[in-house]
Amino acid sequence: MIRLEGVTKTYKGEVVALRDATAEIQRGEFVFLVGPSGSGKSTFLRLVNREELATAGTIMVAGKDVGTLSSWKVPYLRRSIGYVFQDYKLLPKKTVAENVAFALEVIGRPRPVIRRKVPAILDLVGLGRKSERFPEELSGGEQQRVSIARAFVNQPLILLADEPTGNLDQATSVGIMRLLDRINRSGTTVLMATHDRGIVDTMRRRVIELDRGVVVRDESRGVYE
Amino acid sequence: MVFRVWYFLRETLVSLWRNLSLTLAAILTVAISLSLVGSSLLIREGAERATAQFQEGVEFIVFMNADVLSEQDAAIRDVLGTSPAIAEYTYIDKAAAYQEFRELFSDKPELVESVTPDIMPPSYRIVPANPDADNVAELARQFGEQPGVKEVATATEAIRQIEDFSTRVSQALLFAAVVLVAVSAVLILNTVFTAIGARREEIEVMKLVGATNWFIRIPFMLEGTIHGLFGAAMAIPALFVVDNRVLAYFQESEAVPLFRGFAVPDGYVWNTSIWMLVIGAAIGMVGSAIAVTRYLDV
Ligand SMILES: Nc1ncnc2c1ncn2[C@@H]1O[C@H](COP(=O)(O)OP(=O)(O)OP(=O)(O)O)[C@@H](O)[C@H]1O
Ligand SMILES: [Mg+2]
Repeated sequence: MIRLEGVTKTYKGEVVALRDATAEIQRGEFVFLVGPSGSGKSTFLRLVNREELATAGTIMVAGKDVGTLSSWKVPYLRRSIGYVFQDYKLLPKKTVAENVAFALEVIGRPRPVIRRKVPAILDLVGLGRKSERFPEELSGGEQQRVSIARAFVNQPLILLADEPTGNLDQATSVGIMRLLDRINRSGTTVLMATHDRGIVDTMRRRVIELDRGVVVRDESRGVYE
Repeated sequence: MVFRVWYFLRETLVSLWRNLSLTLAAILTVAISLSLVGSSLLIREGAERATAQFQEGVEFIVFMNADVLSEQDAAIRDVLGTSPAIAEYTYIDKAAAYQEFRELFSDKPELVESVTPDIMPPSYRIVPANPDADNVAELARQFGEQPGVKEVATATEAIRQIEDFSTRVSQALLFAAVVLVAVSAVLILNTVFTAIGARREEIEVMKLVGATNWFIRIPFMLEGTIHGLFGAAMAIPALFVVDNRVLAYFQESEAVPLFRGFAVPDGYVWNTSIWMLVIGAAIGMVGSAIAVTRYLDV
């Protein structure tokens, strides 16, 4: 589903964020991306999403070489990738339901489809009764659920999550992880960058560790270390 | 597709409303600059119509009677051909005169219908060797005494003034218009830029979930186009006001000889209006296109 081959990413010609990284992630896997701050986790995710282009090496996503993908096809690649952030990136002037609907609206999905899908996905993330609230009226955990709903509503093949529990307390994080686990069990490949030792150690999923841009460890059912 | 149209309209209107003061400034600037463009075109057209017969050095015109005898006509032609005082002349026969008349009054069909080629006077447009006013007046007097001649019209001082006035005014207007068109394009660019700034977060999310570049761009380009179109729409009534002034000016000048129209026909004003809408939309599209390509980064 995702394959990196000898990928190097250099920012502005000097900062090497990723160095000769190689990894292959199969369809349906759940993978943690760990490593100290600045080790290149976010860069890894942004390369998959083609927010950044690799300086060297090849990246294949869902059978397509994202490095040579013509720019007009990038939006279509992104429709098969959901993205969740530490800071949620919700639109403050839209309600919960509108935030989720927005993701479908802007890729041109018909309104009946939107009207059907949005309540369903909000039920799935446990926010069915708060759909008319605004983001600022929700707790952090609830906001993250909205952002996951938005990322997942179009049923992507891949879900990228960049420290989704970074701003949440332990109990709330567990809830978010249950949700991501459930999404993963529905067949979606999940790649999650995290600093959260407790989560990695309890979930016991595949762990890819980066250190200064180099893949130093890749084990199935790994721990944080 | 219906859903998208609705989406674009809603987003565009929201954005226009959010940016109301800038939007109004942009629309007003477009309106002013296009009023100037239109006025300049109208004045030029009006003057051209009023002085059409006196182009290219023609200083006077000898109109013959509609029922002129062929030997009277031959005599005039003989003088024109041999006199050293005449540099050049053009003969306008009945058919050509009728054709011109029809074109000139194309928006007044009842007037055209009341006329047949038969009753049109044929004429000679004459370029004298010496365009000096005294000399022209003397030549005109001489031709006026010939048998078969109905009337002689000279390019009077007034006609020269019309040409002069129209050239100067329309050039000044055009210059101001060009400057203002550029200013309005920049203003639209700025307004759209502000609109983009106000929606940075939305744009980021749109890119993230896979909205196409055109989907992101269209509301902004639509916004700029609306500025241009609304501005042009506001300039159109101004155009009709100017039309009436131009008409008044040329009508009062009394410098205009036989069968000459001094007004710009309504059809021309409407044509100009359509052009202004086109130019307005173009200004808006160009301004907003520059803004989206420079600042949208999609
Ligand atoms: N847009 C950018 N321009 C220049 N340098 C960048 C850019 N983004 C990241 N970097 C640099 O690349 C390196 C890797 O950054 P990255 O954000 O991938 O790390 P990370 O593992 O996600 O860190 P964190 O855990 O703090 O989020 C860092 O040195 C960072 O300063
Ligand atoms: Mg990061």
